[in-house]
Amino acid sequence: MATSPGEPEDIIRPILNTSKKYYIAFGVAAAIALLWSAVYGWQLEEGLIVTNLADWGSGGGSPWGLYIGAFIWWVGIAHGGIILSAAVRLFGMERYQPVARMAELLTLGALSMAGLYILVHMGRPDRLVLSVVPAYPWTVRTSPLAWDVTVITLYFVMTATYLGLTIRYDVYHLRDRLPNYLGPFYSLVTLGYSEIEEEVIERMVWWLALGIIVLAPLLLHGGVIPWLFSLVPSMPGWDGAVQGPQFLTIALTSAIAGVIILSYICRWAYDWEHIFSDAMFRGLTNWLGLFGLLFLWLQLQQVINGVYAEPIAGETAMVARITQPYYIFAIGTVIVILAYIFAQAVDQRQFSLARSVVASVLMLVATLTEKVLFVFEGLLYPHFSLYEAVPGHYFPSLVEFSSLAGTVALCTIFFLVILKLFPVVELHAVEDHHDDHEPAHDEEVSS
Amino acid sequence: MSTEDTQNDEPKHPYETEDSFHPLGEEWEDRMREELEDTEYDADLGMEMARDAQRLVAGEISEEEFYAEYHDDVAEEFEADDRPLFDDVNPANHEEIEDGSVLDSLAEMDLQGEETSRREMMKKMGAGAAFLGYGAYATYDFQPADGAPDNVSGIRPAPKDEREHRWGMVIDLQRCDGCLACVAGCINENGTSTGANWMYVFTYEDEDSEQENFLVRPCQHCSNAPCAKVCPVRARHTRGKDGLVLTDYETCIGCRYCQVACPYGVNYFQWGEPDVEVSRLEHLDMRPEEVRQLEGGDYDDRDSERYQALSDANDHVYDYRGRWTDSRPPQGTMGKCTMCPSRQDGHTDNPKGTVACMDACDAQGMSAIHFGDLDDPESRANRYLERRTEVEDTVLEKWEGVEDEDLDIETTASPTSEISTFRLLEDLGTQPNIVYLGNEPGPETEQTEPPTPYEVYSGSGNKWGVEVVDERKEHLDYGPSGPPEQEGEEGGE
Ligand code: SF4
Ligand code: SF4
Ligand code: SF4
Repeated sequence: MATSPGEPEDIIRPILNTSKKYYIAFGVAAAIALLWSAVYGWQLEEGLIVTNLADWGSGGGSPWGLYIGAFIWWVGIAHGGIILSAAVRLFGMERYQPVARMAELLTLGALSMAGLYILVHMGRPDRLVLSVVPAYPWTVRTSPLAWDVTVITLYFVMTATYLGLTIRYDVYHLRDRLPNYLGPFYSLVTLGYSEIEEEVIERMVWWLALGIIVLAPLLLHGGVIPWLFSLVPSMPGWDGAVQGPQFLTIALTSAIAGVIILSYICRWAYDWEHIFSDAMFRGLTNWLGLFGLLFLWLQLQQVINGVYAEPIAGETAMVARITQPYYIFAIGTVIVILAYIFAQAVDQRQFSLARSVVASVLMLVATLTEKVLFVFEGLLYPHFSLYEAVPGHYFPSLVEFSSLAGTVALCTIFFLVILKLFPVVELHAVEDHHDDHEPAHDEEVSS
Repeated sequence: MSTEDTQNDEPKHPYETEDSFHPLGEEWEDRMREELEDTEYDADLGMEMARDAQRLVAGEISEEEFYAEYHDDVAEEFEADDRPLFDDVNPANHEEIEDGSVLDSLAEMDLQGEETSRREMMKKMGAGAAFLGYGAYATYDFQPADGAPDNVSGIRPAPKDEREHRWGMVIDLQRCDGCLACVAGCINENGTSTGANWMYVFTYEDEDSEQENFLVRPCQHCSNAPCAKVCPVRARHTRGKDGLVLTDYETCIGCRYCQVACPYGVNYFQWGEPDVEVSRLEHLDMRPEEVRQLEGGDYDDRDSERYQALSDANDHVYDYRGRWTDSRPPQGTMGKCTMCPSRQDGHTDNPKGTVACMDACDAQGMSAIHFGDLDDPESRANRYLERRTEVEDTVLEKWEGVEDEDLDIETTASPTSEISTFRLLEDLGTQPNIVYLGNEPGPETEQTEPPTPYEVYSGSGNKWGVEVVDERKEHLDYGPSGPPEQEGEEGGE
């Protein structure tokens, strides 16, 4: 692999130059986002009747669906992203340092989309603040949804702090090469910066990373989000302590897929072959395979426990799930992806960047499908199974589907704006290559 | 839940039935005891206190009982000389005890004391009692703390001696013939939208019997309601004074978590615009906050300004606290059977202690639904239950003296000789307040076409002319413009 080390010039190029591709991407994303906001406006006006959701029970529907599934999916990407970047910092995984910031940005973008989905799902979003805040000291003791809002806020703050701290360093050191029209913004970011703080910040970032690594599995995707489901007594399809690990592996799988796609696009748009090397992508692909395998393994745990040992209600729910065409599609897709990943791990010639990117896109589709299914399939087979109209039916309406396009577009806009503000690759990542060029180079060659 | 309930099949609290009283199990308990034994204080007393703290949490004993039990012991054991121990907790003043968490308020009080720190206090209370404080904190939640905003309510009925009633129903399934009068009566009273059957009647068949069975299903008004626990804004709550589980339509954000958490499927969301406009509901024509500003009274205070205003208007929308909890919900919020709180608060023309579905059932001559205060042995519900059991006793008496060998009970048992009572899905721990007389649907039962189909009973089929529809989803699927032929459907206008 003959890669030349990256230069600071490389990473600020997106800020200085704007290509036609950029304008097109921005235009398309903005159009989709606008279109969806009109659709959402219609939903606000008419009520959630414009979705295909309905009451479970005698009503014969499912009260939660794509909105909640997509919510978990975005939170999963967010949590996985931040775990990835924290792991890079904590364990010094230098090969992945170039994507660390990308993963953090993905976390912020995805968390915002998850937050947006909470609003979109609600019948009365106008009351969010006035209803939630006054009752919060009491609801936080009993409502998993209140815990949820708590940890999402906590993570947003932690990630933003983390990102803010590392960006200060970069902006300070690159300041004279950055455009002047953003001067006030940069002054704000580097407010009170002095070089003495560098060491302190490094330590703070390390501790924050540690906090994230410890908290994420315990509280976030391994905790609060699955608890939202597994703690309610009504739906056996959601039961079980395996939900925590299950959610976590899906989160990590989705996040790695997201990072692969994002960095591939940046590499393509800015000729960053030397920064986002093939070796790095191969490494990410392997990680994708590992977490994908864990995902399948935990699915197997649930299925076997469900169909073999559970009381009737649980068995019905599980049998229904595994015979669902969409479920078979999701799991089948993951198996095909894994086949590719293991083939390329054994025989490097099987690897191609394009294949990895396709695998990542498919993986995201599979995890999204699994999440939406998890939500509404769980609701279709309650303990109380006397209702003839249960299992009810549900297939997302166009309004609901359009929200996926809308949120992906909004997340794209977020990235496009960030690209113009500060480097999406850390200065450290290219500096390190620069300083000890030889060892870094060796490492890549040998891998 | 109180132990002196009217039902002898009252569910035992899990802490009572298991060998270990602590939710974390025996191992914890042993460790706790060891820790206690390491201190210079009485381990047995600590353990006993811990056990009773659990009962307190479960609402089985009152705080007063708890204090009375331990005051002397504790004073002796811990030389409670200058510490403001239990004497300072005024049992009459519960609002001041943060969510009824005894240990917490004790610790707080101790902080006001001079030398002793909270930590020391905890040590003195015994390690066991201290860590159990968490449980008390989390679940003993029948009313909000002092200083909580008005719209933040508790999620459990108050302990028996502090509440006025515990509303519930005794439903005699053997008297039900599936006429659906209760379903229509409720729709008429509450103006619910198409298919939002707050009251719902199942017709079902058991695998091995041809018999037609009915299950009458309102909200169970659970004393340990999962729907109230999970609500992120406490819109779904339990009125401490009488155990009614209600939704505050003004704070509900429409997340539908209550609907997902309720095991009985009794919730109906207002997906679109309601069929019945507010103006057609019987109500005091004032904004909710204005109603709340009226000088209100305690539960059952009939002299207050608010009560007067509500009863002059024959209001069916506000409850005694001036909160919008009755009749159908506005768009984007959650509805379900309310047990007609405006009637229970006495400000409608209909008497307290009645509900519209029961009235409809009585008018039909069936009298299968018996609403009433389950705490009160004289309530209609309890008297009916008693009479039914008495009848059974006399039937059983007839068999007394007959030698067992002569009698093949299995084959001769007539339907009336063994009337069973049950509560739905009792083992989920929800403590439902609907007691059924009759057969409990088993796992292999199947809902079948009712003798009076919902759609047949609709419109001119019933005396109110209200629309009765079974499967709501079909109507919601038409989208915001309403079903093609019928204008003014769900979300119509
Ligand atoms: S039946 Fe359902 S809605 Fe009613 S109180 Fe119980 S859990 Fe809540
Ligand atoms: S739908 Fe309303 S009442 Fe139900 S949990 Fe959500 S906010 Fe509470
Ligand atoms: S108690 Fe009231 S709200 Fe409940 S089903 Fe009967 S009439 Fe309807």
